[in-house]
Amino acid sequence: MKRIVLLLSAGFTVLFLSISFSCSKSNSGGGDTPKATGPDSTLINLGTNIIIPSYQKLASSASALDAAVIAFNALPSSTSLASVQAAFKDAYKSWEACSGFEFGPASDLSLTTHFTNSFPTDTTIIKANIAGTPYVIDALANYPAQGFPAMDFLLFANGNDASLARFNTDANAVGAHLYLAALSASLKTKTAAVSAAWAVSGGNYYTKFINATGVDAGSSLSQLVNSYVLDFDVNLQNYKIGIPIGLYGPSVLPKAPTKVEGYYSGLSVQLLLAQVQSMQNIYLGGSGPGIDDKVAATKALYNGGSLDLAIQNEMTTLLAKIQALPDPLSTGIQNNSTAITDCYTEVRKLTVLLKADMTSALGIKISFADDDGD
Amino acid sequence: MTMGTNYFTRYRHIAPLAVLRIAFGAVLFFSSIRFIAHGWVRDFYIRPAFHFPFFGFEWLSPFNAAGMYTLYTIMAVAALFICIGFFYRIAAPVFFLCFCYAELLDKTYYLNHYYLVTICSFLLMLVPAHRYCSVDTWRKPSLKVTQVPSWTILVFKYQLTLIYCCAGLSKLTWDWLFRAMPLRIWLPANASIPLIGPLLRHEWVAYLFSWCGALFDLSIAFLLLNKTTRRPAYLLVIVFHILTAVLFQIGMFPYLMMSATLIFFSEGFHRQVLQKARTFVMHQPVRTEMEQRLYIPLRRQQRIFVLLGIYFLLQLVTPFRFMLYPGRLLWTEEGYRFSWRVMLMEKSGVAFFYVKNPATGRKFEVNNAEFLTGYQERMMETQPDMMLQYAHILAQQYRKQGIVNPEVTVESYVTLNGNGSRLYIDSTVNLALEKETWFGHKAWILPLNNQSTRP
Repeated sequence: MKRIVLLLSAGFTVLFLSISFSCSKSNSGGGDTPKATGPDSTLINLGTNIIIPSYQKLASSASALDAAVIAFNALPSSTSLASVQAAFKDAYKSWEACSGFEFGPASDLSLTTHFTNSFPTDTTIIKANIAGTPYVIDALANYPAQGFPAMDFLLFANGNDASLARFNTDANAVGAHLYLAALSASLKTKTAAVSAAWAVSGGNYYTKFINATGVDAGSSLSQLVNSYVLDFDVNLQNYKIGIPIGLYGPSVLPKAPTKVEGYYSGLSVQLLLAQVQSMQNIYLGGSGPGIDDKVAATKALYNGGSLDLAIQNEMTTLLAKIQALPDPLSTGIQNNSTAITDCYTEVRKLTVLLKADMTSALGIKISFADDDGD
Repeated sequence: MTMGTNYFTRYRHIAPLAVLRIAFGAVLFFSSIRFIAHGWVRDFYIRPAFHFPFFGFEWLSPFNAAGMYTLYTIMAVAALFICIGFFYRIAAPVFFLCFCYAELLDKTYYLNHYYLVTICSFLLMLVPAHRYCSVDTWRKPSLKVTQVPSWTILVFKYQLTLIYCCAGLSKLTWDWLFRAMPLRIWLPANASIPLIGPLLRHEWVAYLFSWCGALFDLSIAFLLLNKTTRRPAYLLVIVFHILTAVLFQIGMFPYLMMSATLIFFSEGFHRQVLQKARTFVMHQPVRTEMEQRLYIPLRRQQRIFVLLGIYFLLQLVTPFRFMLYPGRLLWTEEGYRFSWRVMLMEKSGVAFFYVKNPATGRKFEVNNAEFLTGYQERMMETQPDMMLQYAHILAQQYRKQGIVNPEVTVESYVTLNGNGSRLYIDSTVNLALEKETWFGHKAWILPLNNQSTRP
């Protein structure tokens, strides 16, 4: 018996030693206890001057949108419709500056692309909800009928007269009022919550963010870059352009112009522009240290020149191509605009630079799951 | 009986084997539990819709969720049984088989340290490590022996020597020694860890680490074999592996190596360890033990030597099979796996797959995320044999959707050790028609020095 005790205790000593070693690792993976303590000027600058202000702006524009919705619901008129539409455009563009931060508070509080910006929106669910089907606005299953795309439909579909009729004369006008109010209230609540979670005076995720240095799976830079690249690779490349122009469909009529972002408001090009501008801003770190400084410090090369410059130039080129896009994008797709395919080629180039070269230079793994390497 | 065979069959104390069994079994047990606790059974075997089995094992497929969790639970229990030496003769093969099965299912998850586990559990299966300091000998005292033929201990020393030497030799490349790649990328990323962090920013530190790492790998086994240098060498083992554990995300590898290299210590040391542990637990002095030799018929031992001879020959040849292929090994990865090439490359890529319906001429792009998990996608994007398997998966899927003879091509860009991304695979080749072979060269991998850098 005693020998068993002996053996077990020896075994478990090794075990606990391993656990304690390994925990110091995996905790940083979970982001709970940052393993490092040194300051990282890029994280400080991105947190202070880009991420927190972007969320503040999103929260305040969502709050203004909610106020405009309340005013519109109280008295739907062409004037109040115009003001709610303007508030919507402003808030939607503010969202584009935050869509790349899908980690920490945003993912905890469901302020993610999945819930906030799933397009094309599901008009069948929206109509059913308005017509009296019981719904919970933020429910998991309601994701394709919530967020900006749902409001895009309610406020813009079929022109202003139809929109006003939807809220005035339609049989389900009351339902429409309630649904619109629920949508904007949800956005207001979520954006305020995420903004507060980041704020030093609130949840203070900021401190956790700047302290989780390094490039491990749970480090801030790894989370940021993963989210940032995913936002570009999947959300922008695939959903905003690739799918609408018919790259992914094996069928005969693959083009799907109605699947662009902001289809009803015709905001697609402006939203693309807003997203890429904010991506450029994050990369450059505004006027402070950004991801570019880290890439430059690695002296990584691309095609004989500096990788950092290659990325900067590609971003500039892409922005120019987006500005040259036919507006709205849906019409351009129907007219087989070559400007769109030109733009897609540049998106492609930037995807390769960001996803392969930039992450490799920084030593960050694009994984979306933690794992061991060797 | 020749002198040579004598060297392998003479009797040695079993203590090193018992300590190795306990230490390695404990790490395996913890490793299995950790695998389950991290949710990797679900993420790696249950969630993915498709898998990348090793060549020749395409007939294997994962069990359902309950089955996979059972498998890993059996693995953990078997590892614990190995550790405590309980029904060892059954536990060791059970662990080996379960582990091999899980590894062969999907090459996405291939790691050198899993290969190490496979190999060590194979060797543990062949040796009588349970016949001392185990539940089995307590249960059935007649099993207890104190002396075993020396080959049972030597195989582990040879195996580890081989691993370190191969790892060291694989570091003797231009990139590693004269560009400090990939450490030059990986080390500065840790610049904010306490104490050594600030140093890691400097380029010379990356060179220092590269050269010391190569030197360590090449010499450590011999330092451990040599009696006078053994203790400081083991200290070096601990420092080296702990350092890699702190700097890189490499999971259990450092602990596996630290527990396995214990085998190099003398039998006197191991006996002392076990005796001290026993005195500590039982609070009574150890009785002097009777010498009890394990008798294995010479014929049987000779048969084992033949088997082990073939085994070590394969072990020796496998890491160098890359010489049979044209092109740079790290770029083509032909002959890369099972070669103890650790931490040699920072490689990442992007792969855009296209499927063309020859009947309509319509060519469309594939959303990889529809078929693969993020992890599988990332591993596939830099490994040609996985790209080929994926192309076949796509061909099969679209055939089901009614496309006759779908053509699958890939536009793939890969960057290796900071060289800047460039076209990786010949984008005109219909991969649906290409076949995997045992050792054939894949002619559709473009050379590293090609200039097609832009989409």
